[in-house]
Amino acid sequence: MTLELELQTLWTALVLYVLAGVAAIFGVALQRKPERTVLALLVFGLVLHTASISLRWDRLGHGPYITMYEILLSNVWSLLAIYVLAYWRIPAIRATAAVVMPILFVMMGWLLMTSPYEGHLPATYHTVWLFIHIGFGKLFLGSVLVAVGISGIILLRGSRYGGERFVSLPDNSRLDELSFRFMAMGIIFETLMLIVGAIWAQDAWGRYWAWDPLETWSFLTWLCLAFALHARVAYKVTPQVGALMVLAVFALAFLTFFGVPFISTSPHKGAV
Amino acid sequence: MTPRSGPGIEDRGLPQSSVPSPHSSILKFFASLKLTLLILAALGAAIMFAYLSETPTTWVLAGPLTAFALNLSAAVATNPVFRRQTALLVFHLALIAIILLIAAGRLTYLKGQLELAEGEVFDGQLMQEESGPWHQRQLETLRFSNDGFTIDYAKGIRRGNTRNQVSWVAPNGQIQWAVIGDQVPLVLDGYRFYTSHNKGFAPAFTWHPNSGGLPVLGTVHLPAYPLHEYKQAIEWTLPGSKTPLWVMLQFDEVILDPAKPSEFRLPAKHQIVVRAGEERRELKPGEAVRLAEGVLVYNGLRSWMGYTVFYDFTLPWLLAACVLAVLSLAWHFWNKFSAKPWNKAA
Repeated sequence: MTLELELQTLWTALVLYVLAGVAAIFGVALQRKPERTVLALLVFGLVLHTASISLRWDRLGHGPYITMYEILLSNVWSLLAIYVLAYWRIPAIRATAAVVMPILFVMMGWLLMTSPYEGHLPATYHTVWLFIHIGFGKLFLGSVLVAVGISGIILLRGSRYGGERFVSLPDNSRLDELSFRFMAMGIIFETLMLIVGAIWAQDAWGRYWAWDPLETWSFLTWLCLAFALHARVAYKVTPQVGALMVLAVFALAFLTFFGVPFISTSPHKGAV
Repeated sequence: MTPRSGPGIEDRGLPQSSVPSPHSSILKFFASLKLTLLILAALGAAIMFAYLSETPTTWVLAGPLTAFALNLSAAVATNPVFRRQTALLVFHLALIAIILLIAAGRLTYLKGQLELAEGEVFDGQLMQEESGPWHQRQLETLRFSNDGFTIDYAKGIRRGNTRNQVSWVAPNGQIQWAVIGDQVPLVLDGYRFYTSHNKGFAPAFTWHPNSGGLPVLGTVHLPAYPLHEYKQAIEWTLPGSKTPLWVMLQFDEVILDPAKPSEFRLPAKHQIVVRAGEERRELKPGEAVRLAEGVLVYNGLRSWMGYTVFYDFTLPWLLAACVLAVLSLAWHFWNKFSAKPWNKAA
């Protein structure tokens, strides 16, 4: 199995994703509903993306969680998998694809510009806790991404253009409620990610928590998420303010997941 | 995470009276959900301050965490919603338990480093350590022996798995063996001993002092290998002497080959250079050098391993409290969300 085949499969998947995203954006702009086409393109893309990851896993003997390329590769996959599940199960929010896909385009562009070099699997990565830790992290980010898509609709509705394009979606208070539910799922998954990460860290580095950059920023993300959920209850914030808080949590989480590897010199920094 | 607010938050089941007592006012203040937000923000600010400080300043977290514990306790004590929603009550109690356990852990923990040459027994002494003020030290009673280790290296001298055999005497008098390493500590009386990336070569000597005392057997831990591959020398002082001695390990072979996978091992052929003042001698195993204060015999080369030791009795309790917190929160959300579909108006 060669790197060439792996990359060709991935690029084909990315093309399908882009086509799905473009269809979703034009669907909103032209007030059409190409939902089945978008779903089919995303699912076919995911199948090819899964094949590409499998080829790499088989070739290197370890999962896609070592280098920045692998982290982007697996996160684009997991974010899309979670989003496609939401897209399929909650038809009322399918227009959110016009918000979510551009975010994923940025990650796909970054992925294409990153070298697919092979990383060395550190000894501390030979543990099942790493898989569970990463899995919960992906579920957390995926949940927040769906909330971001919904929040994007709430904010876009503030403009006349957006108000017209998203008129058929449920009202803002209902969207806000759904967004809150995805954020609630997010805090559960992020808490589990932190707990499992601490179990891993205890035996990998002899301490369960050391305030290294990734731990610090992950906990700040958790605090920000807890703050957003609490503020929604304590102050009965408007859907627009709630949506802005969702975006803030996602931005912080995004920086934690993909920015900290650039500033951290700790053995625990996301990407080796 | 929810219904501590709303209309109920203001009367939250406190005794009805025209003039609230000072105690209930204080409790009401501490139970405020808006105070929770302030505390979360303060905790975030304290974390940022500690993160950006160049010196350890995690003590700044103590204030917000204490306030958080008070806030949660007051809310649980006063808000009737906790009597109705068990999951929410369990979640808040678990959060309080987590904060108390973290505090207990910081007061009683111990963290340290030690090094043991192959065949050497841990004598309870650490090279470096830090501990909480209430740590009740029991390290001196613990013993284990480093029985040797192997470490795989991938191409490019990238460290792989460490397998360190250790042995100790169990309370029943039986000798126990185990292989520890990455992810697998040796746990003795709650103290967790981990291998570290620090390891190297240790020439073993026997020192026969002229004074006629008993010969002293010991090892000299050279700087970590391969981290200090080209600095395999160290200055030390002989037991009972004030004479500084400089020791260097020399070998020609490649131990860790960057071009292919390899394993940490002792060099097949080597010599030790010993320098005392103007005198310089090259020694092979079994050879001796006569110095002004006695005779130093070079016994041979061994390896040494650096260990970290960690003690925190709260670990299992903390894990249990965290798991309880997240499960109860999930239970609370499940109850809340399953009661009403998201797209139905209130």
